[in-house]
This record gives sequence, C-alpha cells and structure tokens, in this order.
Amino acid sequence: MTAVAAPPTRPFRWSVVAAVLAKDLRATRRSKAVVVPMLVVPAVLLVGLPAGLGRFARASTPPDLSGIAAHLPAGIADRLAGLDARQQLLVLVLGYLVAPLFLIVPMMVSAALAADTFAGEKERRTLESLLHLPVEERELYVAKVLFAFLPAVGLSWTGFALFVVAADWVAWPVMGRLLLPTAEWTALIVVVAPAVAALGLGIMVRVSARAATTQEANQLGGAVIMPIILATVGQASGVLVLGVGWVLGVGAVVWLLALWLVRGGMRRFTRDAVAARL
Amino acid sequence: MPSPPSHVAPHPAPRPTPHPAPTGPAAGEPAISCRGLTRHFPGGTAVDHVDLDVAAGSVLALLGHNGAGKTTTIRLLDGVLAPHDGSATVLGLDPVRDGTALRRRTGVLTENAGLDDRLTARENLLATAAIRGLRGPSVQRRATDLLDRFGMGAHADQLCRGFSTGQRRRVAIARSLLHDPELLFLDEPTSGLDPAATLDVLALIAELARERGRTVVLCTHHLEEAGELADTMVVLEQGRVLVAGRPAELAAARWPGVGVTVDLGRPATATELELVAHLPRVTWATATPEGLEASVAGRDDVPALVAALAAGDRSVFGVATRTRGLVDVYFDVHEGRS
Repeated sequence: MTAVAAPPTRPFRWSVVAAVLAKDLRATRRSKAVVVPMLVVPAVLLVGLPAGLGRFARASTPPDLSGIAAHLPAGIADRLAGLDARQQLLVLVLGYLVAPLFLIVPMMVSAALAADTFAGEKERRTLESLLHLPVEERELYVAKVLFAFLPAVGLSWTGFALFVVAADWVAWPVMGRLLLPTAEWTALIVVVAPAVAALGLGIMVRVSARAATTQEANQLGGAVIMPIILATVGQASGVLVLGVGWVLGVGAVVWLLALWLVRGGMRRFTRDAVAARL
Repeated sequence: MPSPPSHVAPHPAPRPTPHPAPTGPAAGEPAISCRGLTRHFPGGTAVDHVDLDVAAGSVLALLGHNGAGKTTTIRLLDGVLAPHDGSATVLGLDPVRDGTALRRRTGVLTENAGLDDRLTARENLLATAAIRGLRGPSVQRRATDLLDRFGMGAHADQLCRGFSTGQRRRVAIARSLLHDPELLFLDEPTSGLDPAATLDVLALIAELARERGRTVVLCTHHLEEAGELADTMVVLEQGRVLVAGRPAELAAARWPGVGVTVDLGRPATATELELVAHLPRVTWATATPEGLEASVAGRDDVPALVAALAAGDRSVFGVATRTRGLVDVYFDVHEGRS
C-alpha cells in the first residue's frame, strides 16, 4: 500500500451528496454573518439600484442622449431609435447598463460560499470529522461545489425576477409596454449567470481546499476572481447588444471553462491532501 | 472499574439497527494489523515504521506525548491519510483501497469534538447519520437515547454554539456511537468531562469491548484510565513504537516480583533499608517519605518482611502490595529515553 495506489472507482451516490449539502445549507442558513450580506447585497445591486436608477430616469428631466447615441454600439442605437428621450434613458439604463450586476452577483456569492467550503470547515474544526465519514472524495467535492452553486444561482434568478417586476413597474408609465424580460436577458440569466457562478466556485473551491482559513481563501482566490469580475463588467452589456446567439455562445464558452475547472479540481482533490493540511 | 453513577447512565448503550451487518473479525482475531506503517510530512516523519496488532474485542491504549504520532496513526488506520510506506488491514479491509467501506464500520471521536456550532446537538447527530445513509424513526430514537445516556437529552435541541467543552465532548461521543461501529477510535474521550461523565464513558468503553465485542483504540493522556481499560498498550515517540504489548506482561518483564509499600510514619533509615535488603527473596528496597518500598519475589514473602521490621519495636502502620502496570511502563519507557 502506498500513497499513489488508486482506489477502485465506485458508484456515485447522490444521496450522500444531498446529505452533505443539506447539512451545509442548514448550518449556513443560521449564520447571520453569511446570510445577511448574501441577501442584502443582491437586493441592493439587483433590485434597489436598478429600480432607483430607473425611477430617477423617469422622474428627472431627461438628458439629451443624441450625443451619446452616436457613440453607442449600433445594436443599442437601433433600439433607441424612435424613442423619446425619457424612454431612451430607461431602455439604456434598465435594458443594458445594469446587466453586469447580474453576472457579478452570482460570481460573488458563489465565490464567497466556495471560500467557506473546506477552509471554513477547517476554521470550525469540523473537517476532520467529515473526512472520517464514509463519503467518497468525488461525492464530497460535488457536495461542496453545489453548496456554493445552488444559492448563487437561486439568488441570481430570484433577483432577476424581482428586477423584472421593479423595472417594468418603473418603466410602464413611460414605455406603455413591458420592458423586460427580453430573449437576450433571459439567455443571460438562465445560461451565462450560472456559468459565471460555476467559474467563480471552480476557482474558489480549489483554493479553499488548500487554504487554512476562509480569509486566506478569499485573499488568494480574490486575486484570480477580481480580473474576471472586471472583464465581466466590461463585456456583459456588449454581449446583450449582440443578440441571443452571442449570449448563448458566450455562456457555452464560460460553461466549458467552468466545468474544466471544476472537473480538474475534483480530480486533484484527495482526502489525503486535505487531511495533510489539518 | 467503578460503576457509573445511576443518574448518568441508567441503562446500557442503546443498540441501533445499522445497515451493514458486522462482518469483521471474530474476538481474538486481529481487528487491526499493520506493518511498517510510515507517513512523512514536510516537517518530518509523523509515523515511522509502526507495527500494530489489535485483537478484535480488545482495547488498545495508544499512548505518547503530544506530537508522538497518535492522531496520524488513527488517520492512517481509518484511511483518511495514505501511508508512504507499509501496509495495514483494518477489519479485514485495506484503508486506502476500501476507505469508504471501512469508515462505514468505524466510529471516530476526534481530538476536537468537531461539532458544527450552527446546528443543534440532535441535528449534528442526524446529519452524520444521514451522510452514513441512516434515516428514519429508528435513527432518531437512537440519537435521542444516546443524547439521554450522556446527559444531553435536555440540550438536544439547543445549538452547540453555547456548549461547554464537556457537553461538546458528550455529544461527539454520542455521534461516534450512532451507527454502532465495530471499531472505535477515541481520541481523548474524557477530556473536559466532569467526574461522573468520565466514569460513564469509561464504563461504556469497557462494556463495548467486554460485552459487545467492539474493538477500541484509545488515545489518552489520562494514564490511569488507560491502565484500567487497556488490554494492550503501545507507546509512540516521534512516530516510532517504543514499547508494545500487554501492560501486565511488560511490567512483569521490567519489575519481576511484587512491589511492597510499608508505612512507618516516617522515612526508613539506612539501617532499616539494609535490614530489608538483606532478607532472602528481597530484590531491592528504597526509602519513601512514609517508610519504604521494596520488591519481593512473591506475595508469600511479604509477612517475613513485615515481621523483620516489626521485630525491632518499630511501628508498622500499613502494608500494601502494588502491582505495576501501564502507568509504570509508560514512565519507565520515557525515563529510559530521557
């Protein structure tokens, strides 16, 4: 018997994954330090801020966008054509400018939860007990990935639903029609946002398995995540302009990258490596 | 073994309905057997060519100072760490290849209780049970029974966050027993417990091994407890086995004869020590603050020793024979190294 001897492959048990996941979700739900920021930040970013901006755009004297429109991508300029100034402002703000927020939030939430997975267990001194349970390494890894993924996607989708209601509530008197959801937005939220969440946790779970504390995991992982967030901010609105096909294409690419990261992390994850750092 | 107080443990450990039927070794056969078990870390070698044989249904005391390699040994035997050299068979399984199957049959109490503070005591037990694939009313009853047994029934639905060290320990012990494991690794099981709970845990360990055929590996710094419970002992230092075997046999090999303590109400004089040392079948004699301590070949030689002392009008307030055991062996081994 040596450290390199590979154990035989066994059937993957979703029931075990569900049990680990249920324990983690139940415990996290009771942690105000985690839950409050996780609810407040998305509420502000996804509902409060867009609704406030929209309301401001509706109520204030609209600025002259003709100068700006000349510099906007053709796709946006086409959609603004034929609208009055107030309508243009609402479409621009609610239809395009807030889009990056819907990618930042799932990545932030998934990364924050992922940082807590293994490093948090170490901090709480619960990891060793977990490692002594009859859980296969793959099952444990998948449970931790889902622990970060599901709340991030859930919050993102819930936030979008609330945003749509708020945006249409704000825009209806001016537009006289529903502004959202559009096909592009739907594709962004359903396909790209989960992919971005998976990308964030794909990095952070790996970091968390090596870090001693959640803080260390956040610092190490943050250095990688921040450039991705900045890139997301820069590109999300543009992708919406390019149409559904582009949104889905970008989503597919991000999904592939995320799955590659998660799969790689799962392959490298061993009980031995984690226990050796206890 | 003193009986546990009735208010703490009025009944034996509840018997569960675990899913896998025990198929482990019969009593007397090795539950654990390892040869040359070795594990290195960047900071050094934690376990260094350790050989162990633990009979099923017995209690092994795994002893040593902090950092001796006890916890790493447990992790290796439970398949949490992989050895860099050597091999182990635990309950007939290879911990590396069959780790999950093995851990289904083992229960581990880690040095830190390892409870999630954000869950209640009952939730901690039931979450672990669910991960083990145990669900339903019978497991819930078992969790309740175990929490009751360890005096935590009234706190079962409180978050563990506010628990004392002893309370956490009790919940963790209950959790380690939930699936009625064939092999228990207990790391400092009585640490932080009050005297009544300590007695209860010791009684439980004895019951598990003697009456129910469970194998127990006990890591503790409380040598008296280990001495009461252990069938065999292993002393580790810097990952190496210093001594291994049955405490009584190890002691007999080191200190042949019977130890006798004589209470004279004062330290024995040089003359008295010389008198005793020259008696037939006395191996040695040394002064103590209350009198003297000597070693005789057998119990039958004790009356002659007492008679020789009393013959000179000396007052002998008490005599006791002393059987050396695990505690003496432990300190002797370590003193021999220092």
